[in-house]
Amino acid sequence: METSTIRSKLYIFIVVYLGVQAALIAPQAFAASVSSREYQVKAAFLYNFIQFTEWPAAKTADNNNTISIGVIGDDPFGAAFDPVKEKTVKNKKMVIKRFGRFTELIKGANEDKSKPAENTEALRKCHVLFVCDSEKENLSKIIEIVKDSGVLTVGQSENFLDAGGIIRFIKEAEKVAFEVNLIAAKEAGVQVSSQVLRLAKRVITDETADDKNK
Amino acid sequence: MFAQKGSLTRKCVWLFVLLYLLFGARAFAQQDSSVREDLFQMSLEELTEVNVVSASRQPQKLGELSVPVSVITSEDIHYSGLTNIPEILQFTPGVDMLKLSRFRYAVGVRGLHEFISDRTLVLINGRAAESPLFGGSEYYTLPVLLEDIDRIEIVRGPSGGAWGANAFNGVINIITKKPEGALGAFGSTTITEFGDTYTHIRYAEKQDKWRWRVSAGYEDLKNSDDAGAGRYVSNTTPGVEALMGFSTFTANDFMRNERFDGEAFYDYSDRTIVSFGAGHSRADVGDWEFGGYYPGGNGLYETTRSYAKLEHDFGGGSSGYLQWFGNFADSMVPTLMKWNWMQNDIEGQLNFKAADVHNVTIGGNFRFIRLDIEQQDAQQLTYVGEPFDEQFAGAFLIDRWTLSDRWALEGQIRGDWYSETQTDWATRLALLYAMDEKKDHTLRFAFAKAFRTPFTSPRNAWTSRVPVGGGLYAFNVRPADELENEETYSLEAGYTGKLAKNLTLRADTYYQRFEKLIGYTKTYVGPLPYHKADNIDGANSWGAELEAAIEGKPGKLSAWYAYNDFQEDMSQQGIRAYLPAKHKVGLTGRFFLPDGWTFNANYRYAGLTRKLNLDTTLVDADLSHRLDLCVAKGFAQGKGEVMVGVSDLFNKTNGPNFAIGQLSAHDTPGRTFFARLQLKF
Repeated sequence: METSTIRSKLYIFIVVYLGVQAALIAPQAFAASVSSREYQVKAAFLYNFIQFTEWPAAKTADNNNTISIGVIGDDPFGAAFDPVKEKTVKNKKMVIKRFGRFTELIKGANEDKSKPAENTEALRKCHVLFVCDSEKENLSKIIEIVKDSGVLTVGQSENFLDAGGIIRFIKEAEKVAFEVNLIAAKEAGVQVSSQVLRLAKRVITDETADDKNK
Repeated sequence: MFAQKGSLTRKCVWLFVLLYLLFGARAFAQQDSSVREDLFQMSLEELTEVNVVSASRQPQKLGELSVPVSVITSEDIHYSGLTNIPEILQFTPGVDMLKLSRFRYAVGVRGLHEFISDRTLVLINGRAAESPLFGGSEYYTLPVLLEDIDRIEIVRGPSGGAWGANAFNGVINIITKKPEGALGAFGSTTITEFGDTYTHIRYAEKQDKWRWRVSAGYEDLKNSDDAGAGRYVSNTTPGVEALMGFSTFTANDFMRNERFDGEAFYDYSDRTIVSFGAGHSRADVGDWEFGGYYPGGNGLYETTRSYAKLEHDFGGGSSGYLQWFGNFADSMVPTLMKWNWMQNDIEGQLNFKAADVHNVTIGGNFRFIRLDIEQQDAQQLTYVGEPFDEQFAGAFLIDRWTLSDRWALEGQIRGDWYSETQTDWATRLALLYAMDEKKDHTLRFAFAKAFRTPFTSPRNAWTSRVPVGGGLYAFNVRPADELENEETYSLEAGYTGKLAKNLTLRADTYYQRFEKLIGYTKTYVGPLPYHKADNIDGANSWGAELEAAIEGKPGKLSAWYAYNDFQEDMSQQGIRAYLPAKHKVGLTGRFFLPDGWTFNANYRYAGLTRKLNLDTTLVDADLSHRLDLCVAKGFAQGKGEVMVGVSDLFNKTNGPNFAIGQLSAHDTPGRTFFARLQLKF
């Protein structure tokens, strides 16, 4: 067979191949309810954080033998937690609670902290609370509600640790990394393992905070 | 011969289709949820592991790659104490490197390197860094400053399925630091015993939705003569020596290079990022020992690179980008020619998941190139048919299918159309098997095909040099009659393993077949030689690479060995390249000591390197032992650092090594003591 004929057939093959693949696969992909790789990695980080965090005894005894991860704000995780939906961690079943936006959550509720509304009480019951970027404006209010209730707060907004959050995700090149505010962890009554602190890009302690204030 | 090639091509295509259908059907049938690469099985350390993008254009873990990749980290670069990219690359498995002058290097993945290294594709942040005139990259013209590099990914083996033409033997992707990884002010200056200096300043900041970085640098390399070297060595015949008088010329290989590079990112929303950047390099250099040594004044190379990119995360596992980049060069080399070129490239890529088991990337690009060449002197090179307007277009599909908990299949296929040469295609098909549940041990089997398209220079160069009277010349090059693409096919097997905490082992073997390698034929008209580029040879290559590394808080220890048995079909046919050294060995030791002290040592052995020269003579570069030592001491809570060291302690890599057409050359300084001061605020 002539070389040019073979080439022509090859080009037709490549074009048809690309076209068919795009036609077959693309619609399925857009229909699929899965999350971006970044949030799959972050979900795996949260799963790991649970294994390396100790909560107050009262918190552990509570909650119907479950460990709950709360997500407040516009949920970017999608189906990222699906692979561990029914699994146990620390011998407890893992539960994901999605609260939606904070403004919706507190709508109609009594904002008096001494009488927390039922909805905001649900935030305090979480073991881990991920605060989405959509809640930047309400960050300090959310932290204020949960700060003394043994909740490991995790977020990624610029001022998350300054506002009293405990772990903040950062992105370095194509990698996900994190920083830890140990002062906030102590206030919340949660104990973050040294295995987490060892890998943190920055750890805020009493000493580092003092240095910053000097 | 054509019938055989056609048959081989057909078989490869049908094999690809068969495997695709076979495993594809199985993948659709299973529809399991083991996708997401078992992120939940990973430890925190693993989640923070280095990701790489060069193997399949998406970040992946090293153990999941369809092709062998080595990564040079910013820490490796920093503690090497070195000041240019080729010198750093030589400490990587499978990379062949020879120093040709004070600033010119021949670098090639698995050999076949020349001073423009046009069988290895060089990228900066995934964007082409090649000369459309010669096809390769000249590292000293790239506007990249060493301490701005986050990592360099070295892909070994044909990678055209992901990256297209010239990802023939491998890819070198230089990835720069994002602003958030380099916040604040930074300054660094290095001085050698010869008075060479390398200075770099940088500032990076993050404000609200903006992140940006600007860098500037200045490099000053003295002549070899002024640096205690410059010894003349001839490889010419006595007659040519008498005609040219090469021995009367002194080495003139200084370089003064000003570089600038800036980049900005704007977070338009949580899912959309806009980024743009520009870099410029201006290199004043000495004469080019090329095509014979014709002193004619100093040269000037100016290169500008710029880009704009829009990235979007669509949610649902889909993301994509659209980008434009433009590369512009204006160069003047009195002994060669004056030229300028521009490349404009529009590129798009879409990544998505499908049926829960497919990680798919599709994309394509269109590139427009314009080249202008000016002949200012009768003996300079000229190009028949210039100025040249050339267009390239390519489309690719990459699909990683998770077949089960243990098995994955990655297929890459790409077609490229070229206005001036032939349309061609490339592929890679890799089957990966995890030997254990944690995927600490992975086996890889792969087939790949890639091609190299001849760029403007080998197709169209025309010159007659060294007049011998009667309008005749002693050295003549004429445009090629018709050049076809070089083709290569490989069969590969590899193992990637985590043997213990922080201890990794990688072993790769391959057989690679080369077809239609381009070189120069030599014919005589009377006594005078005439050279023409042509597809003149094929070759077989068998090889293996073994790499082990242990890395932790105390430091890093790594060792590698690379074997490459390269046999051309018809020896001494002048395929215009150095052949790979048969044996190469590398060792690295880095120790973080108390009180801010760090000690680093890099060693490399490279066996004899053979060169098939322009006029079909074999030229050897000696085997070499290279040892670099370096000690650093941090101070002011890590804000400052002083470093002293020596590169090439044994003084064994000072050449000269003869490059294409070089009829004379000078040696360069080998052993070099240096000191460095760095400050960060």
